[in-house]
Amino acid sequence: MFTNGSKYFIGVTGFSAVVLVIYVVLVDGAVGGAVALASIMLAVGLLAGLALFNRDGDVEVGDAAAPANAVPVGSSLWPLVTTLGIVAMGVGLITHEIVFLLGLTALVAGFVEWVIQGWSESASSDRRFNNAARGRLIHPLEFPVIATVGAGVIVVSFSRIMLAISKTTGAVLFTIVGALVLAGGVFFAVRPNLKKSVAVGLCVIGAVGVVAGGIAGASVGKRDQLVEANEEDHFAHKECGEEKSKYFDFNSEAKVSMRSNPMATIEFVDGKLQARELGLKKLTDRITVQKSNNISVIFRNKTEGEYRLTLFYGEKEVQEGVVEELHNCTQMIESGEEQLLTFRIDRPSIASEKPYKFYVPGVEDQSIEVVVP
Amino acid sequence: MPTSVRRFVAGAAGLSAVALLAGCAKNAPQDTWQPKGPNAQKIDDLQKPVFAIAGIVGLIVFAAVAYAVFRFKDRGQPIPEQTHGKPVLEIGMTILPALLLAGIGVFTFRTIFDLAKTDDTEMVINVTGQQWWWEYDYPVQTDYGITNPIITSGQLVIPTGTKVLLRETSRDVIHSYWIPALNGKRDAVPGRVHYLRLEADKPGIYAGQCTEFCGLSHAVMRMEAVALDKADFAAWVKGQLELADSPAEGTLAKEGESVFLNQCVRCHQVNGLKKADGSPAIAAPEENVWSGAAPNLTHLMTRNTFAGASWDLLTKECRKDVWEAPGGEFGKKYLAGVTEECLNQTDLRRWLRNAPAMKPMYADPTKLGPTDGKYRGMPNLGLSEDDIDKLVAYLATLK
Repeated sequence: MFTNGSKYFIGVTGFSAVVLVIYVVLVDGAVGGAVALASIMLAVGLLAGLALFNRDGDVEVGDAAAPANAVPVGSSLWPLVTTLGIVAMGVGLITHEIVFLLGLTALVAGFVEWVIQGWSESASSDRRFNNAARGRLIHPLEFPVIATVGAGVIVVSFSRIMLAISKTTGAVLFTIVGALVLAGGVFFAVRPNLKKSVAVGLCVIGAVGVVAGGIAGASVGKRDQLVEANEEDHFAHKECGEEKSKYFDFNSEAKVSMRSNPMATIEFVDGKLQARELGLKKLTDRITVQKSNNISVIFRNKTEGEYRLTLFYGEKEVQEGVVEELHNCTQMIESGEEQLLTFRIDRPSIASEKPYKFYVPGVEDQSIEVVVP
Repeated sequence: MPTSVRRFVAGAAGLSAVALLAGCAKNAPQDTWQPKGPNAQKIDDLQKPVFAIAGIVGLIVFAAVAYAVFRFKDRGQPIPEQTHGKPVLEIGMTILPALLLAGIGVFTFRTIFDLAKTDDTEMVINVTGQQWWWEYDYPVQTDYGITNPIITSGQLVIPTGTKVLLRETSRDVIHSYWIPALNGKRDAVPGRVHYLRLEADKPGIYAGQCTEFCGLSHAVMRMEAVALDKADFAAWVKGQLELADSPAEGTLAKEGESVFLNQCVRCHQVNGLKKADGSPAIAAPEENVWSGAAPNLTHLMTRNTFAGASWDLLTKECRKDVWEAPGGEFGKKYLAGVTEECLNQTDLRRWLRNAPAMKPMYADPTKLGPTDGKYRGMPNLGLSEDDIDKLVAYLATLK
């Protein structure tokens, strides 16, 4: 009475119902999960009914008789994937949302593949034709998904490697990787008759290498600098004073394009701060900027060591009786490097008791006055 | 000739004559063919030959087309012998325009690079566009007596015979600065600084117009460059560095100062103005105006215009007297500023009465949602006639 397909779906429906009951009892107030489980239960229940009604899609013969054109079918991976999906969903309900979602994905993917494979295997007595029929139907869906997943795995693997190794090692490693990719491309180009298996083998070796590196990187974790800087909360707090952090801003890349339209260039030369406004020939210790406008200046460090340029531009009452100084600053700049600082001052100079100024933290006797008319 | 064709020819000829005669207007302050400085002269030196060449080429083409039309008009004659290609003619007709364009290109590039130079300029002025006026601030330049920054609006004042570099930007949307007698156009773009050279040979006022559509009142976003000889410019700088004096007690102007403190200082700064407790009155346009700025009025009556140079502060007669003053007398007349007799009270009062009625602006207090409750332009303050009298009296003291 029950076909093989309907038995499977009836089982999954029952399992979903049990999981739904357990979920509702154990997880308090999680409506989303309950709705998702109920939806799954209803969906597979519907499929069970359909499978039962149309005799697993084989309308010509009953379940007791084998079709005349049937060919022996091979083993299928998809029942296993589907089962794993169901198990993962159950485990995910207990452990983590992502496991549940992965299980759900595996369940849907496995089910779709299984149904289509089943349909294609009974399409004719020609196995090649059946495979081609399956391909025509499923490849437009399979290939983009596989490509996306593959690219995602490669990207995540790369990121894990880059977060684990030091900046210097990263630069060296990826220079080598880039060179290898180039060499591989040249190799394929000059050997057009290369066996497909060799090309595929090389690509697989490369991909496995990256994924293995990613797994290793993820196991090792982020490099110490990132971990410590994160603990110092420097990514959330903009530091404009004298640098106390061990790792913050090191080796900041700071090449500035003149297309950034700077209003002035401020240089820290051998411990002395000096400014040059574009269009004026003389050096100055006072620059004039427009009010309520985004202004950019270039800071160029010409003193040994790492320094930053900081702008003081008034005070603001952040809450009643609490006044904070307003600062903006560049990163720490190595000697010989430069960086753009963009700022906006909304109040004229006369609105501030203390003059607005650029200064270099740690070098208190040097400053450039900023005048806002 | 049929009547309809005759009418068409007569109409076209009439329109052409009107267009041609319009070029002869004497009172055309924004005429691009009358350069008054070396930068505009460079453009003029380029555009005249280019126009001449283009005109000659145009005439030749028109003549050739006309000849072909009339000479080979269909009169029932047999179809002439068809030829397919004349390599010499085709190559010649390709090379000749290419050579012509290459020649023009050489001079065009040279002019562009000359006008883009920033390393030989002698003075710098920051120019900031906003809806719908221009602000000018002069950074400290002790060579010109500018010991503290100067800020003004509407009229850009420059010394004659001086290579001035304008550093242009904008606080809201893209504008374009153009004073045809002194140089070409340059866009003022938010977040960027663009450079424009300006130099005037002789003292005078040179009119300009924003040339990038920038919203409701783009058409009345005007500007004027005032060129003063060096001595007069020094006198102007000295005057601009002074703070505004408070009017004498018991005068109408003193009452106007109170109105200004209550109403206008929310956006407009007057340097030297003090509140009742003696502390400096500091405008906060950043809290009320979308662009974050409003014209500084400290020396309003030293300018000849107001509201983004859209209206004259001078009466017609006085304006004519200043604009048409001979070079030697111009500086003196301009520096006299707006006297009581010359003040164009009519337009100033209209403006104070209801500014958006004169100049379309986004100043309806019920429609400020998209700008977080901030105005773009000056709103109608709902001043009484009494307050307007007082304000006019006070503004007239800002010299």
